[in-house]
Amino acid sequence: MRWNSVGWLFLAPTLLILFVFGVVPFLYVLVIGFTQWNSFAANPDMQFAGVENFRRLVFDDQFLYSLWLTLKFAFFAVVSEIVLGYFLAQLFMRDFPGKGLFRTIHTLPLVIAPIAVGATWRLLTVPGLGPLPYYLNRWFGYEFNISRYIDQAFFTTVVMDVWHWTPLVTLTLLAALSSLPKEPFEQAQIDGANRFQIFWHITLPLLKPAILATVFIRMMDALRTVDEVWMLTGGGPGAATRYIGLHIWRVVFPKTDYGYGSAMSLITLYLTIVMCWMLYAGLVARRDLKRAD
Amino acid sequence: MAEDTEQPVVERRGFLPIETNAFDRVFIAVLLFVALHLFWMRLVESVLPLGVATVLSLILGAIIVARG
Repeated sequence: MRWNSVGWLFLAPTLLILFVFGVVPFLYVLVIGFTQWNSFAANPDMQFAGVENFRRLVFDDQFLYSLWLTLKFAFFAVVSEIVLGYFLAQLFMRDFPGKGLFRTIHTLPLVIAPIAVGATWRLLTVPGLGPLPYYLNRWFGYEFNISRYIDQAFFTTVVMDVWHWTPLVTLTLLAALSSLPKEPFEQAQIDGANRFQIFWHITLPLLKPAILATVFIRMMDALRTVDEVWMLTGGGPGAATRYIGLHIWRVVFPKTDYGYGSAMSLITLYLTIVMCWMLYAGLVARRDLKRAD
Repeated sequence: MAEDTEQPVVERRGFLPIETNAFDRVFIAVLLFVALHLFWMRLVESVLPLGVATVLSLILGAIIVARG
């Protein structure tokens, strides 16, 4: 095998940074996950505990509930973002008056820091101050109170995430739609295919790599969401929006249970990898195999 | 003697429903190793010790790497 020293030299800074800031912290968390380490415990030193943290974790109802909430949140947020993002991308493929202005305004949420998004939505929805509860009550007689009703709190976090991240999906799918070849669409039109058939048999398969990449990115982001939700609801009411990131934060920082928090982080990472891999294997690898047959 | 060409990644189809290379099979084996242990700790450990899960998942992993 040829030893390309110049290539490795160029790669070295990236590999070094990846190793120091990616691999080393991961290995550190992996080690801590197998220890008992709590600053406020009778013995605050790090002690090897085997799989005890993981054994505790599979019976921890709070953790499992947080995990379930996070999966529910990721499902609703990602599906909504993909569907909405696709329709907006299709809209931006056409010409209409004020398209440039609309596209700029639509992209603005992307540049806002998550903590500022959370603060904005907090001001919008806080009972007694925010315009959303006020007008919903005044116009429709609907009591909107995210500090009281768990479903409202949950779906407000989903809507906030959709508002923040749909522009990313739109831009990705817009780029993919713009690069699609025209010939298959023209041929389908000549063959008399209707709009749904064109979408189902041509647009969707051609967009599949872009959609899949977007789903991966958004799913990983949704599974580790912390700051926006922390700012908006603080995980409440009760534990209704205490997603896994918030739960881990509570265990690691206020409770200083580093070992158990690390075990939770590892399991969350594991589940993220499994879900992404299953999505890939189910949607890409399997279909490519059928085509090869 | 040094070769100028890189070695291609060998993909093959075993009993797994997708085409896999060696890394894929090791990856799947590790995922199953973890999943089986978590499942065991939650549901089976009261009857059988965790060591059984380790042995089972190592055997399963070896089969996947060899025949998957």
